[in-house]
Amino acid sequence: MSLLSDPEAAIADLSRPEKWVLGVSAAFALFLLAALLTGALGPTYFLFLVGLAGMYALLSFGLNAQWGYTGLINFSVAAFFGIGAYGSALMTADSSPIAGGFNPLVGLVVALVLAFVLALLIGIPTLRLRADYLAIASLGLAEVVRLIVLNERWLTNGSAGVRGIPSFFEGWPVLSTFPETMPGLRLVVIPGSPILLETSFWRASLNVLLVLAFAGATFLVLRRAHQSPWGRVLRTIRSDEDLARALGKNTYSFKMQSFVLGSLIMALAGVFYTHLNLYVGPGDLDPITTFYAWVAVILGGSGSNRGALFGGIVIVTIREGTRFLNDVALPIDPAPLRLLLIGVVIVAVMRYRPQGILPPQRELIWPSAVDDAGSDPPASGVREQKGGGDDE
Amino acid sequence: MTVLGYLANGLVFSSIIVLGSIGLSLVYSIADFANFAHGDTMTVGAYAALVTFGAVGGLGGAVLGLPYGFFLALVVGIAVAAVVAVGTEKLVYEPLDIDSIGLLITSIGIAFIYRAVIQIRFGSDFTRYGIQPLRPIEALVPYGVRVTLHDVAIVGSAVVLVAGLHVLLQYTDLGRKMRAMADNPDLARVSGIRTKRVKLWTWVIGAGLAGAGGVFLGLFNQLSPRMGFNLLLVIFAAVILGGIGSVYGAMAGGFLIGMINQLTPFFSGVVDSLPIWPGWLNAALESLVSIEYANAIAFVIMVAVLLVRPNGIAGEGAT
Repeated sequence: MSLLSDPEAAIADLSRPEKWVLGVSAAFALFLLAALLTGALGPTYFLFLVGLAGMYALLSFGLNAQWGYTGLINFSVAAFFGIGAYGSALMTADSSPIAGGFNPLVGLVVALVLAFVLALLIGIPTLRLRADYLAIASLGLAEVVRLIVLNERWLTNGSAGVRGIPSFFEGWPVLSTFPETMPGLRLVVIPGSPILLETSFWRASLNVLLVLAFAGATFLVLRRAHQSPWGRVLRTIRSDEDLARALGKNTYSFKMQSFVLGSLIMALAGVFYTHLNLYVGPGDLDPITTFYAWVAVILGGSGSNRGALFGGIVIVTIREGTRFLNDVALPIDPAPLRLLLIGVVIVAVMRYRPQGILPPQRELIWPSAVDDAGSDPPASGVREQKGGGDDE
Repeated sequence: MTVLGYLANGLVFSSIIVLGSIGLSLVYSIADFANFAHGDTMTVGAYAALVTFGAVGGLGGAVLGLPYGFFLALVVGIAVAAVVAVGTEKLVYEPLDIDSIGLLITSIGIAFIYRAVIQIRFGSDFTRYGIQPLRPIEALVPYGVRVTLHDVAIVGSAVVLVAGLHVLLQYTDLGRKMRAMADNPDLARVSGIRTKRVKLWTWVIGAGLAGAGGVFLGLFNQLSPRMGFNLLLVIFAAVILGGIGSVYGAMAGGFLIGMINQLTPFFSGVVDSLPIWPGWLNAALESLVSIEYANAIAFVIMVAVLLVRPNGIAGEGAT
């Protein structure tokens, strides 16, 4: 917003962690730019990373709608992600054991419907439970879903997974042939190491556009929902469920709505993943996916969408950074290193900053709960908007 | 295999689950949060035993097909698991100023750290203790029971540990304090119980039993960095079935869940032979009640118990 017209005032208006995040993000962006220009980071791979970051941001948005808004401890993120991925993969892939060969849009709709049904199936029994029971029960039901996907070969191909998935834009008028029709470009920034932009680059950029569309639409919907009376009820439930009930709200119904909304967003992330990775296997339903999303949300700040975005980027940095580190410097198996980093991040956040790095601001219901009420807050939402645009 | 054979297998597996579930239940009631790092504490115990056994060797003689060195390794495994848990409590959980949900989330991070460290050190492959696998006991084979002396040792050690815990809880000062604290921590503190110290002892006992369970799990199956995490949900199912906060409930729940888990192939045989009508229901049941879904059945039981009888078999506060 005002960052362009009056950058100094805009920066002075930021809180300290916001400045930190802005500074680190800017440095990281410069680093990536340098890596791109020198050819150390292939542009196609870079776009793949951006797509992945967008996917994790989507997952975190979904979890945020459940945990951040309503306080539901959902440990079945991987199940919804997986059902979204499998739903679209089974509808569109050549090697699909059931239908297959449909337009990816059909896959999208089927995936969302499946996620809706699964959300009801998991939500109806578990949402009445106490918070910690909900955590255990949802993790258990996610494992049940994973076991079904792994073992019902007639339906899912079992451990072999589903291959031969088309790109999301297959069958669209212009976009389906866009990568092939675009000319190959050759950019020479530094003499001797030209950067080639070929078909795969254009395909990757289409994917990035797709995830930007998904994430952007989700972000807008969530922000609108968060500010609406509906969102206020959810926040009341999170803070004090008995109070919400005393005010005459049917909390079970509100929790279910928030659960379904979040689950649909997670399935959307799964659909995107299918068309990004072009392969889906039962390993994608591993509980680690759930905890990636959790780390992204609690690191960014529960209830904060720009925090979720930031968390998604951090997750991809950890995921791909460990792989890079293994290739370049330390010969440590990236899988445990990644696990270690995730664990350390969880513990460190809970120890030093349980509210997350970019907690939602000026949205709490009781003024006494706002710690810096005296610092002349701008109109609600402005800061959220600004942060959302600047974090990358 | 006969019913007796499945029951015998169930008894062995139950012993391991019981050892795990007691610790989880103790920590749940006294430290007041669902400890997701409990499964990985079992893994820590198992790998500590692996290292010790590799270092000291057999030490001469053997009991029940297990060399003396293995029992030393078992003790070391228990001790290491307890020390690691107490260290974690002191370093991580105690300084935290958050509610039980925050502790739950933190314990997931702890679980990942344990597993990652083990995986970095030992790799992600399956390993075994360097102990010769035994043949099933000949005298029992005619009855369809195929258990080895090792299995007998697992059940026997578990019984000894559980009996010891029973004595500790019922007849010692520490046990009374622990029960008081599980019942009402504030009341316990104003009556002069040093709740912090009791909490530490809870961690020692809970993690020690988990370590023992991990060592036996490694003997029963194999060792891998994921062994504990894979069992964690089954143990949660046992604790919830038994009733959170009740040690005796956890024992009963662990026993039942272990039995159900190992009896799944028997149940699937029963489903196959029953004339269930209509046909589609029969087909669905036949495919769902199978060995691949043994864990899934435990999870579904867990959710059903949470819905119908959240206090479990024993009910809250029956410690």
